[in-house]
Amino acid sequence: MKKEITFIVNNEKIAIEADPKWTLLYVLREVLEMTGTKEGCGYGECGACTVIIDGQAVNSCLYPVMEAEGRNILTIEGLMTKDGELDPIQKAFVDEGAVQCGFCIPGMIMSAKALLDRKPKPTEDEIKESIEGNLCRCTGYVKITDAIRSAAGGR
Amino acid sequence: MDGLKFVGKRIPKKDAPLKATGEAIYIQDLKLPGMLHGKILYSKYPHARILKLDTSRAAALPGVKAVLTGADVPNNFKFGFMKDNPPLKSGKVLSTRDEIAAVAAISQEVAEEAIDLIDVEYEELPGIFDPLEAMQEGASLIHEELKSNVLKLPWKFVHGDVEASRKDSAFIAEDSFTTQWVTHCCLGTSGCVASFDVGNNLTMYSNTQIPSLAQNDFLEALKAFGLKNRRVRIVQTTIGGGFGSKLDTYAYEYIAILLALKTRRPVKLVFSREEEFLATSPRQPTITKISQGCDKDGKLTFREIEMVLDNGAYTSWGATTPSVMMVPISSLYKVPNVKYTAKCVYTNNTYSQAFRGYGNPQATFAIESCLDQLAEKAGVDPVEIRRINANEPGEVTPQNFRITSCGMKECIDEVVKRLDWKNKCGRGDGRGVGMASLIHVGGAARVYKSDGCGTIIKVDDNGKVDVITGSSEIGQGSDTIIAQIVAEVLGVSIDDINVINNDTDVCPWDVGVHASRTTFVAGNSALGAAQKIKAQIMDIAAKTLSEPVDALDMKDGVIFSRNDKEKNIPLGKVLRKAHYTLGGRMLVAENFYDPPNENFDQTFRGNLSVAYAYGAHGVEVEVDRETGQVKILNYVAAHDVGKAINPMLLEGQIYGGGLQGIGYALGERMIWDKGYLKNGNFLDYKMPTVRDVPPVQAVIVESDEQAGPFGAKGIGEPGLVPTAPAIANAVYDAVGVRIKDLPITPEKVLRALKEKAGQKT
Amino acid sequence: MGSFEYYKPESIAEAMALMEESGGKGVYIAGGTDVMVLIRQRKLSPGCLISLRNIGDLAYLDTSSGLAIGSGVTHNAIAKNDIIQTKYTALADATSKVGSLQIRNIATMGGNICNAAPSADTACPLLVLDARVVMAGKNGERSVPIDEFFLGPNRVALRPGEIVKGFEMPAFNERTGSAYIKHTRRQAMDLPMLGVAARVTIRIDGDQIGCRDALCGIENISDILKRFEDEKLVCEDVRIAMGVVAPRPMRAKKAEGALKGRVISEVLLQEIGEIAASECQPRDSIRGEAWYRRDMVKVLTKRAILRVVDRIIRPDDTIWPERLW
Repeated sequence: MKKEITFIVNNEKIAIEADPKWTLLYVLREVLEMTGTKEGCGYGECGACTVIIDGQAVNSCLYPVMEAEGRNILTIEGLMTKDGELDPIQKAFVDEGAVQCGFCIPGMIMSAKALLDRKPKPTEDEIKESIEGNLCRCTGYVKITDAIRSAAGGR
Repeated sequence: MDGLKFVGKRIPKKDAPLKATGEAIYIQDLKLPGMLHGKILYSKYPHARILKLDTSRAAALPGVKAVLTGADVPNNFKFGFMKDNPPLKSGKVLSTRDEIAAVAAISQEVAEEAIDLIDVEYEELPGIFDPLEAMQEGASLIHEELKSNVLKLPWKFVHGDVEASRKDSAFIAEDSFTTQWVTHCCLGTSGCVASFDVGNNLTMYSNTQIPSLAQNDFLEALKAFGLKNRRVRIVQTTIGGGFGSKLDTYAYEYIAILLALKTRRPVKLVFSREEEFLATSPRQPTITKISQGCDKDGKLTFREIEMVLDNGAYTSWGATTPSVMMVPISSLYKVPNVKYTAKCVYTNNTYSQAFRGYGNPQATFAIESCLDQLAEKAGVDPVEIRRINANEPGEVTPQNFRITSCGMKECIDEVVKRLDWKNKCGRGDGRGVGMASLIHVGGAARVYKSDGCGTIIKVDDNGKVDVITGSSEIGQGSDTIIAQIVAEVLGVSIDDINVINNDTDVCPWDVGVHASRTTFVAGNSALGAAQKIKAQIMDIAAKTLSEPVDALDMKDGVIFSRNDKEKNIPLGKVLRKAHYTLGGRMLVAENFYDPPNENFDQTFRGNLSVAYAYGAHGVEVEVDRETGQVKILNYVAAHDVGKAINPMLLEGQIYGGGLQGIGYALGERMIWDKGYLKNGNFLDYKMPTVRDVPPVQAVIVESDEQAGPFGAKGIGEPGLVPTAPAIANAVYDAVGVRIKDLPITPEKVLRALKEKAGQKT
Repeated sequence: MGSFEYYKPESIAEAMALMEESGGKGVYIAGGTDVMVLIRQRKLSPGCLISLRNIGDLAYLDTSSGLAIGSGVTHNAIAKNDIIQTKYTALADATSKVGSLQIRNIATMGGNICNAAPSADTACPLLVLDARVVMAGKNGERSVPIDEFFLGPNRVALRPGEIVKGFEMPAFNERTGSAYIKHTRRQAMDLPMLGVAARVTIRIDGDQIGCRDALCGIENISDILKRFEDEKLVCEDVRIAMGVVAPRPMRAKKAEGALKGRVISEVLLQEIGEIAASECQPRDSIRGEAWYRRDMVKVLTKRAILRVVDRIIRPDDTIWPERLW
């Protein structure tokens, strides 16, 4: 039985007819056609689907859409400014060589953003903690942690 | 310094912003009007007869537009280089990844539901899961129409007289090593969208690494499906990881084509993560017997290797890995006598194809572990034995490789220095160091009859440059390297260069992204095209500026005369002058670069590559003697790359390859148990996380390869070739046990320690 | 797969009523990191999902006397709590290592315990911290010691319709500490091959602990333990729990009995490890071999106790040095 729910995505109010069995990831990609958030596994084991809900990094593939009702959701599409300027974290990822095939990157950037919004000057351990749930096969992670450190203002 | 503006600089990848904003379109993201969703039904058993296959309930489900089984594959079509692999199997299934039926439906959900409605009755048959068992006389045949489970492949290389040199050796080390199945774990799963036009010409949206060869494969398939003389167009969406997993065509692609043909609608078939684990082809496992000998001073006298490869149920590139294994076997260090044989054996297991290194990691694991054993027997320091036998520029190896640039000694020296080797080895107190070197092809590899790559360059009226390359961007940065080279040659800004690489209707031929060849071949191809375009530009500018051609230079998009700086003109302006005039011209140049390497002859001799990449890895480990866990304290990866066109991207290859290698050495393995995959998910397949990254140094050694673009060689694969033996050697130095079976798990280390202490487990 | 209703009750009573209405076909869902996986794997086909996420009465975390944690509190909230980090450290150890940060942000300890996998990370710490499970049902609330809550793999002592309200633990004195060691193959996003938790109360005769400096230094384990023995550091009370070495998380009661009241020494800890190893019943699985798990119980019991004593003696060092133990 579909139900109308509203929530905020990237500062815009969204209303959809939601099937309760849908995950937030499905809604983002298939209903709202925002394909920036990726499905890497569907089981919460890779982090490619990470979005920020009420300030916290969450695997959207495991998040029931009905729980999204009334909440504030930030996806990768919401980071760039309206003038097309990259968010500082996105810019750091580009400049530090942290992007190879790019599939894990939206999830990585959202995990980093959740961290830096909460703790602008994180410790090394906090940086690792923020992305320990984001798998990457291309980069070996070194330049990704470099990028997060750079975005936090240290190098 | 060297006067270069773009080459040698840490320039961000051109496609990075698109990926960092989530705007890049991967195959998962592609939607076409009228598109259907395909799904495959896999075999329940590793070996069985299909007694009944009833698709009627699936076909009747609303929203299902086509259901196919093996009976729907025309003309007994089979793919794979041994032509033993039907896209949909019928009669008998030979592995749990056998595709036995497929559906196309209006949504992913309906497709999945339809798969559940297909009724299959099997008669389970006993399976063979051990290649040694499958090789035996009298073992059941996996493919009943063949005479043997051992594939008819010519893997044998002999140089000199191994038997004689055995007798002359002062020391010999002999042992057996085994390596496991590991899988690519691309974050973006495999998939395609197949679409026919009204003339039955096929467009495949694909994440293949071999667009030109795939085009060929699909043309063959169309012929077999009764469609001769058609066109095939491969359009690559952004590729979410390759590492060799997309170097062959797969059953699912042919299935998508058949579904698209049947429904006359585009069909999208994308793997779930479970399918990615089950149905993509992993790294070739190996069973290796090796012996190496040396004289009393530690100079190598011979190397003899016998290998058995589990070929699985069907054949893909895994069966050809011995041809690349020969590279280190014949040419890693100076070895005067070599003998190598490899047998590929059918079993009811999964089958392998290309994975970064293509056999080199497996062979190097055996060679470099055994070399340490030999060093110990001979009483020679493990670093010294490598220096004594190191390859050198100018050498011709037993396979007739002509070594040009060679930074092997420098790489070894870097490892020794940065690990503080002299103070760290031989402590035996739970901490130890180990090293291993590598050789790999660095100037492409003439695996096929052509090793070429084409480039077309055109410049528009505004001075913007389009570089159309046959090479594919799989995340490694080939687009950026090409742009850097063209920008350097032309003297335009790198931002004015647009690289187009993803459409066979437009792009020239390239053999594929393999053998670490893109910087070398695509780079040289682009360099040649850029030089041609530059000549055209200068020709026009000379006339416009009334200056001799050789007085002209171009910098920052402005052509000027060295004799008279007042005489200058922006590129766009000079091109518009040449275009918008009677009898005007537009600038296009093309260059097909086929490197001057050689195919192997029948004895596997030939200069396979124009140049060879070298490297050495060293590692300091701490072994917890109570738990068997191996912790990496320090990792040094030194690579001879000729010239680093982009040091930042190069480091990315070294770190990325290195961590894959560490996973290969310490934790990754696919658990196939009697033909069933037990750990086909990210929880139980232990791919490294950020917390598993050790302190690592990527060291770039530049030996300036003359034949390479600006001196560069390849780096794509070397990053994970010597990791496993370096770690195994370090563990031996730390606690005196040698693990010869990958991965080096805590259980294996602990068991070995207990056995050494005379304890029971 | 057919769809199902998703309810978001705001009170325990409302949730239980919904469950009753569903005729038992409903499934409670908290963070969803287990339930959503089971649904996707087609191992669970709920008639409806009854979310516990919005029930305020399950979201409490009260450290005023002892520790009371609502079943709806997330792993991350538990792991980052100051009092839990210092006084109930085993729980912080466990919750900080469940899955990934994304998982810990929404997954709950209640869900982890009710799912009752033998590998549930929070089980062993709760066992050694003498936790009681508080349950709400039609007939009111009841509580049982957590040791009685686990019945077997994925089976707990909840009656139909009951919901776990939360967990209660007593206050411990400043001579008590706890630790949980999760033995994994990789350093993040992993299930334990096995896990060992310990809580120890030591008795210090005299004012100073001379071996404090030994723990700060880099002396080896044997030397440190010799100092404990020399200074007659007594284990006044102890709990030891082990995970993934039996069908359910379990206490090593014989080992506890053998340690309690005795002076800590290397020989004794060796003995305790062996007794604990003899009490467990590990299996071979794709995640680990039985012989290795049993061996690790020996090793990790010893190390867990050592880590706990270190924490008691040097409570201000919040960053444990990188030692093998």
